[in-house]
Amino acid sequence: MKKINNYPKAILLLVVLFTTFSCSKDENLNDLEETIFVRHKDADMPAYIHGNASDKTFLIILHGGPGGFGLSYRNSTIKSRIEKECAVVYFDQRGSGMAQGSYSESGITIDIMAEDVLALVKVLKQKYGDDSKFFLMGHSWGGTLGPAALLKDQSDFLGWIDVDGAHNTKAMYLEYIANFRRVAAEQIAMENNINYWESVIDFVDSIAPEYNIDDMYRLNSKAFEAEVKLEDSGVINGIAESNDKNIFKYNLLTLLWNTFNTQSILDGDLFQNISYSDRLSEITIPSLVLWGKHDMVVPIRFAQEAFDNLGSKEKELVIFENSGHSPMGTEPDLFADEVIQFINENR
Amino acid sequence: MKLKLRLLIPLLLFFLKIGFAQNSENPIKLNDFSSMSFLDRTEFKVSYFGNIFWNNGINLGAEYLLKEIVKVKNRKRGKRTNLHQFILDGNLGFTTNFSSKTDTGIFTNYGVTWRRTNKKGKQFSIGLNPLGYYRSFLPETYEVNGDNVDKVFLPGRGYYATSISVGIGKQRPGKKITGRFFNINFMLRTPYNAGILPAFNFQYGYRFNFKKKKVYEKD
Repeated sequence: MKKINNYPKAILLLVVLFTTFSCSKDENLNDLEETIFVRHKDADMPAYIHGNASDKTFLIILHGGPGGFGLSYRNSTIKSRIEKECAVVYFDQRGSGMAQGSYSESGITIDIMAEDVLALVKVLKQKYGDDSKFFLMGHSWGGTLGPAALLKDQSDFLGWIDVDGAHNTKAMYLEYIANFRRVAAEQIAMENNINYWESVIDFVDSIAPEYNIDDMYRLNSKAFEAEVKLEDSGVINGIAESNDKNIFKYNLLTLLWNTFNTQSILDGDLFQNISYSDRLSEITIPSLVLWGKHDMVVPIRFAQEAFDNLGSKEKELVIFENSGHSPMGTEPDLFADEVIQFINENR
Repeated sequence: MKLKLRLLIPLLLFFLKIGFAQNSENPIKLNDFSSMSFLDRTEFKVSYFGNIFWNNGINLGAEYLLKEIVKVKNRKRGKRTNLHQFILDGNLGFTTNFSSKTDTGIFTNYGVTWRRTNKKGKQFSIGLNPLGYYRSFLPETYEVNGDNVDKVFLPGRGYYATSISVGIGKQRPGKKITGRFFNINFMLRTPYNAGILPAFNFQYGYRFNFKKKKVYEKD
């Protein structure tokens, strides 16, 4: 009793600490700031979970690349608006971002990476409960990986959001050529950057008519360059500058090295053999297809193809008139509106 | 491969020339320190280890003097005396990215350092540490096997981590802190994902020798 009397401040402090920490879990669910790792098939992959998980709704974002990084999407309205509606899970895929592991080149395939996505869902259910609800969003290469995962098991997902997704990479080589010619003709007719677009036609003329990986890389690089020119001409909105410090969460050399290695392993098969067009009909969960009208990287033809082929009864196609490959950056408010509405309608 | 060999062989010959080349006009004296104690021949070091923007940490190490050669070269301006040392080098370090929980690790490595010191005390060194181990430490991690999900105890991975350091420094003879140094460290971690992970880091720190301090105080 004497000791207690001697240390009232210490006891008070302990009570405050216990009270604080005993309440912390509930409070954090409204504003999650978690980093967990998923260990699956010799890889440890970080999942950065941010936002409002009060009703246990999780939006898993599959980044582009291959070899991109999850937190590159924690910008603009995804952070400021979508995270307020649900918890957003930014996932560094196998061989990407700060994911680490030890496996051979045969240990990084689309098939295994699709299993990784399902493993992530199992972990989230283990951590947050079996009543957790999941939406899957894939951008660019994430639009390849998303269908690959859903075709394995879509039972845990309430919806699929395809953002300029490359579900048919096998067809991209020829579509690049056709799209460059079409856009170049349009831009020349509009007298936008005429010299540049004439050089694009010359460039396309120099491309072999049949697939080869070197020309595929040239086409892909040219597509990103062309979007910059479209932005210069005011056809595509500029991406608003971000004040986020996510880049400090990734060692730049590690990031670039992983990107280079992962792409060098996956790209050959990806651009030559992969197409989920014929199997999209097996995806029956509600789906939202979001696409930039002026997407040069995954041309808009694939938007209609994705929408037409998806087997969902509830599906919608939204074209962003002033966007290229990344509508979440160029028309962020409309992007957030569509995503939030889709999640609220289906959760 | 042939190109790599063509580049590597002249480079190795260059380093051999720096380290061992003798000239009859250049007297060489091999310092005898067989009577020196272990602590006399050993320096300890502590340094910052990291790349400032992402990873930051600390490195502790010890350097045991194996061999010391004094080379005197005759130059137009007079004699130039350089001290060449071959040192057994061991390190223990910690590094983390304070803005994330995804890049934390401890490492240890062992090897040999060659160091040249001129009469002004300016130093240049090359350290090869072929024996190295890096252990990453991850935050909360769950392992998935089929439908089973288990929380991992002490999650992380071990890597073979060889490294090379090239640096400059300044000797402070007779002082408690016997020198300071700045190194650029290149480390390879393997097996990392489907290959090897390279990493560049800076080291800035100080060497000290407990024994020398005692001698210095007595003097």
